[in-house]
Formats: sequence, C-alpha cells, structure tokens
Amino acid sequence: MDRRQFIREIFLWSVGATLTIPRFNILPEALAAEKQASLLSLAKGEDSAALVAQVLRQLGGMAQFVRPGDRVVVKPNIGWDRSPEQGANTNPLIVKAIVAQALEAGAKKVLVFDRTCNEQRRCYSNSGIEKAVNELNDPRAVIEQIDQRKFVPVNISRGTALTKWEIYKDAIDCDCYINVPVAKHHGLSGLTLGLKNSMGVLGGNRGNLHHDLGQSLADLATVIRPRLTIIDATRILLRNGPQGGDVKDVKKLDTLIASTDPVAADAYAATLFGMQPDAIASTVAAYKLGLGEMDLARIKIVQA
Amino acid sequence: MEPKRRVAPAGWRKVSQALFFGVFLFLFFKTDYAGSDELKWAVNLLFRIDPFLAAAVMLAAKTVVALMLSALITVVMTLLFGRFFCGWVCPLGTLIDASRKLFGGSGGGVHPGKRHLKYYLLVILLTASCFGLQLAGYLDPFSLLVRGFAFAVHPALDHATASFFTWTYQSAPDWVNALTEPVYALLKRHLLPGTGRVYALSVFSLVFLLAVLGLSAVESRFFCRKVCPLGTLLSLCSRFSFFRLAGGSEDCGKCQVCQAICRMGAIDGARRIASMECILCLDCLSQCPRSRIHYGWKSASTGTQTINLSRRAVVASLATGALAPLVSPTRLLARRADPQLIRPPGAQAESMFLSLCVRCGECMKVCIGNALHATWLEAGLEGTFTPRLISRIGYCEYNCTLCGQVCPSGAIKQLTKDEKHTTVIGRAHFDKNRCLPYASGIPCIVCEEHCPTPDKAIKFREVEVENSTGNRVRLRQPYVLEAFCIGCGICENRCPLSGGAAIIVTSEGESRKEEVLVTGGY
Repeated sequence: MDRRQFIREIFLWSVGATLTIPRFNILPEALAAEKQASLLSLAKGEDSAALVAQVLRQLGGMAQFVRPGDRVVVKPNIGWDRSPEQGANTNPLIVKAIVAQALEAGAKKVLVFDRTCNEQRRCYSNSGIEKAVNELNDPRAVIEQIDQRKFVPVNISRGTALTKWEIYKDAIDCDCYINVPVAKHHGLSGLTLGLKNSMGVLGGNRGNLHHDLGQSLADLATVIRPRLTIIDATRILLRNGPQGGDVKDVKKLDTLIASTDPVAADAYAATLFGMQPDAIASTVAAYKLGLGEMDLARIKIVQA
Repeated sequence: MEPKRRVAPAGWRKVSQALFFGVFLFLFFKTDYAGSDELKWAVNLLFRIDPFLAAAVMLAAKTVVALMLSALITVVMTLLFGRFFCGWVCPLGTLIDASRKLFGGSGGGVHPGKRHLKYYLLVILLTASCFGLQLAGYLDPFSLLVRGFAFAVHPALDHATASFFTWTYQSAPDWVNALTEPVYALLKRHLLPGTGRVYALSVFSLVFLLAVLGLSAVESRFFCRKVCPLGTLLSLCSRFSFFRLAGGSEDCGKCQVCQAICRMGAIDGARRIASMECILCLDCLSQCPRSRIHYGWKSASTGTQTINLSRRAVVASLATGALAPLVSPTRLLARRADPQLIRPPGAQAESMFLSLCVRCGECMKVCIGNALHATWLEAGLEGTFTPRLISRIGYCEYNCTLCGQVCPSGAIKQLTKDEKHTTVIGRAHFDKNRCLPYASGIPCIVCEEHCPTPDKAIKFREVEVENSTGNRVRLRQPYVLEAFCIGCGICENRCPLSGGAAIIVTSEGESRKEEVLVTGGY
C-alpha cells in the first residue's frame, strides 16, 4: 500500500463511516406527543389580584413556574398610547398582580418591557403599566424602556417564513418568560393574542413580518417559549384593533386565561370573540409545528 | 498681591452669566415630554422676554401676542439700567464670551468700525415685518442658539454618548459596566433625548451658530457689536438709560486699560463710555488701576452719543424693508403651495403662520415623534427654519399637543387633545403601484394597524387577486376614508417598504385655511 492509496482509503472509509451514522433529528414535541391534554386555567371576576391568584392556583401556583432566584420577564402588551379603559394594552392591574406573584415566588428580578408602536414613553405612561409596576415599590421589579443595544440576531432554525431576526436579549436569556397579552381585534391577523404579543420582543422593521404573519408568528414561537401565557380578557377590544380608541368597541369580560401551552391559550381566547381557533392563522401554523394544542376538545379547562 | 478680597464686580457678572446659561440649558432639557400631556415649565421663556421678536411678530401679524408682552420688562429694565441684558443674561452672549479664546481671542478693540450698519439692518427687518415679511428669526440670538443646540449639538451629544456606552456595553468587562450603565441611565433620563434624533438643516444650523461664535476672531463680541438685532434694539433703549458706567476722562491717566480691554469697543480715546454699546460687563470698572470708573446715575458729564446714521441710508433701509415683500407674490408658491409642506397641527393659515413664527426651533425640539423639521426653501426664502412634518422621518403622535404648548408666538395654536384629534394637517393617499396588496398580491396593511383614529381612516376590502407568482390569493387591500384622515403620517412612517412609502401624506384638506379665496382654481 503506497501513500497515495493509503490516503484514498482513509478518505473513503471516512466518507462511508460518516454516511452510515444515523442522523436523528427528533423534535421534542414529537417525543412528548403522548403527554396528557393541555391544561388551561380560567377565572372570572372583577378583582385583578384575585383573578391572577386564582388562575395560577389552578395551575399549581406561581412556584411551579418561578423558582427562587429566577430572572423573570413579564411581557405585557404596551403597544399603544391608549388608556387602560380603551383596551389596547394589557390591564395594568393584571400586570401588577403577576409581577407581585413572581416576586413572592422569590424571583431575583422581574423585568417588564415591550417594544411599543407609539412613542415609548407615552405608551408606558398612559397604559398605566409603568405606574403599576413602580407602585410595587420593589427594587427587583423593573420596567425598562427598550434598549437598542440589547437586540441580538437569533437564528430561527425551524422557521420557514422567518429564519433570522433580532430579538431582545432578556426575552431569550431569562429563566422564566411570562407572556401577558391582551385579547383584541386585529385587522390583518383577525385577533391579536399570545403569539402576536411576542412581536414586542423583536427589533428591526417588524412591518415586513406582515407578508406572512401567521407563519412568521409560529416560527417565532419556536424560539420565544413562554413558560406561562396569561391572556388578559378583562376588557376585550372587538373592533378597530389593535389600538382601538373608542370605549364603545370595548367589552368588559372580567376573564383571565392562563396556560403553559401558548397555542391552547390562543385557541381558547378566540372563542371569547365567537371565533373558532382555526380562524387565526398563527394558531393553526403553530399547531402544525407541534408547538401546542388547538383542538378545544383536547384542552382540559379548569375553572373554579 | 494683596490677600483675597471680595468678588470683583465683573465676577458677579460672570456668576450671572453662568446662572442664566444654566437656566437656558435647564429649560432646553425640559423642552421634552416628561410623562404628562402638559409641560410643567415655561420652556419658551427666553422667547417671551425678547423685545425684538415681540416687535417683529406683532408688527407683521398686526396683532398683540399676549405671551410676548413680557418682553416689555426687558425694555423697561434697559431704559433704567442699560444693556445689562447682553452682558449679564443673554446665553448666546455668554457662549460668545466663553468661546472667545477658541477663536484666537482677539481682545477688546478700539475700532467703532461699521457699527452703524446694524441699525440699518434693524430698520430693514422691522419695516419688512410691518409690510408682512417677517425675517426676525434668522438673526435673533435666541432663535439662532436654540436651533443650533436643538438640531445639531444635542442630537450629536446623544449619538456620541450612545456610541460610547454601546462600546462599553459590548466590550468592557462587567465591573466597568456596573459603573457605566447607571451613569448612562441617568444621562438618558435627564439630559439626552428619548431616542436618537435627526434633524433637517442640522449641519447648516450648527455652521450658522459656529460662524456667529467664530466672528469673535475678527473682533470680540463681533455679532453683538455689529449684527444682533436684539442688541441693536436694546442699544436704542440704553441711549436713554438712567444708570450707566462713567468716570474716565481724557486726563485721567495714560494707561487706557479700559479702552484696550472693552469687549464691545465702547470706550473711545477720551475714555468716554458709549452707553449704547456698553453691555455693562464691568471689566473696566474692575480693572481700572485708579478705580475711577463707577456705575451710577447718569451725569451731565457723560454726554450723549450719536450713531451717525446717514439719512440717505435710513431712507434706503426703510424702502428696502417696505419693497421687499412686494416680490413675494411673484413666486410660484403664491399660486400653489408645495403639497409636501405639512405644517404642525394648530398652525395658523400660512401667511399668518409665517408672520408669527420666530424660527426658534422649540416645536421641533419638543416634537415627540421627531416629525417636525426645519423647512429649507419649500415655503419660500422667508420660510427657512419654519417647522414642517416629514412623515417618513417621524409621525405626529395622535394624543400629543406639545408643539402648540411651546410655541412662544402662537404661530402654532395650543390645542386641547380633543381639538388635536380633529385637526387635519393633511391627508394620506395610496401609491397602488407600490403598495404590496395591490402591486404584488402580498398581504400587509401595516398602515391600517397603525391608523390612530378611533374609527380608522384606513379601511380594507377583501379581494381575490392573482399575485406575482400567478397564484390566486385572498387578501385585504387598504384604502383611505378621507373624512376620518387627519394626516398624522404614521401610515407613511410605518409603511414597511424600503425607500419611499406606498402611502403618502400631502397637505390636502388641511384645517387651516387662508381667508382669501383659493387661487389657481377655475
């Protein structure tokens, strides 16, 4: 065997060996396919703190999600320069109660933020959320204006419409991400719920996502994985969403939804508007990616 | 040297300058949204104590601007005490003094030079105002200063700070960031604009300001001596002032220190101090070796000074001021205004607006959306530095009424939130050749999402179209409902197309109307 042949054989053996190694690419969701039905916690009432406490209790309490020392992100919708009554942003009292619960569970830090559509300071102020968080008067609870330096490019390997985007660092780094959208009408996507609320952690020109919004949101949901989704339906905006502006378009429901399954939460929330889960493109796309359950019959709803 | 004595009189002047410059900076930084719809501070204070602007604006608009009546205080004080305003208060004067050494630091001068030209300039400016052409804002010291600071200095400072702290954030170790990040947060909270800002004519405004400072290289306080129309007006008042500096005389000594150091060149060979030029900096009083100079009730010995204006030149100035406005109606824009020229909400009808606007830049500084920018020539030569909305750069925030609150002359009326919601500054229209749902069958309607009117001015139709790849798709095509559109420009701003937007706002349908009939119709 001369040197040349030696090299050739080494090469061929290597190629052969490499090709025969089975390459498994099993999605975690596929392995978990047989797990029990998604749990969805539902509560109704006027008192925000009690509502939050109840939906959490039905899921085993905040301690199930926030461990002592965790860095928690609570991500409400603060997108618009609107008052709480106008139903365009998450109810500040709901946000406050969730942050309080996370603090009580021993979080090291609870960060609240959103990349707003209207001017940031006006949105934070007029949504009432800035005041609500500051009222807790706890140095661990921080409401932060978007810091452009914190957007980092993230590869979305399972994405088809969206493969790479800049995402707010804390949304990915944190130990526990709690998504707190408000349920409301939206011209393009029909409704804006949990998956759509994740757009608030994106940098860049978000308008471009609208070309294939449903799939983009589902793709995004493969990397933004809330440990808990709490949908604020205390007031829902029925028309002229996502920013409304007329209280006549707002319906008071006093309802709060919580689930560890982001798709199930969105699926159920659609029914509050008299819609079927499959009317929302992002819900369907996320279901197809195996990110959660959209079949209402297979979602276990717990309600006191 | 003897041991330290009490502060020299000129020292007190410096203290006052520092104090008023501090006030200027404080009000400048407070010209920003601070968490409530109403501004807490009278941030436009400087422009309300400026008698030159007040005179020009009231002459041009033929109306009394109540907000600017406080300028009378300055006039009365000057009649009593002389031009202390220029020496002790004016922030531009302070900046000129402070930067003097940077520009070669030529000391005081003897040359009275062409000092009378400024009077002709004032005559031209005020006469032109009288005949409806108000140009006061170009040369007013405060307008000039605030424009330079608001358009260039402040944003540049912000960008520099952001770059530095981004660098530390990205490359410095954690312990450094533990120190720098709180500093940055503090700066952002109190001194820097909310987000990085850009301004039209920023470089130009800065060069203008630097030129004024740089003229000190020719002569100290050159601008104050020979150009500043506010100073000129005050100098006319101080001719009659009751208190003034005096004491030197032809035979008081040979040193002539006072004459050599006078930054205004107000002291002649006979050591007479011209009260019209003297800005009471008190250098002479402090440095006179024999302490002969003092400030007090004017005595007969001080005499009066003449300005030596030529009658012919005064008449020529009057004529220039009166005739210049005659040319205005010969321009194209007299027949049709530029449709891209969108004025802020609450702006008066155009001719009144131009009469009232003092080009102070306050509205552009405070504009929360960074939407208001200095006009170049779109409103004519006399319209430069007036505010216009450039939607692609920033949009008019639906609930914000700040520009009307800071306008010192009422060129932009103060609107309530409800009035603002119904004030039309323009209307949007689609460019269907570029708009995605029309041009290529791609879903979008970001404009509809952002449209802020409670009943949206942008609606959509559901249609089935063939897209660019030949497939039939159902999608939503937006259209504008004119009756609801107020021209805020958020649609144009947020249109995701790169380059120009596919939805464009023009001044069509704006609420402010000229009294005269529209010209150019049929």
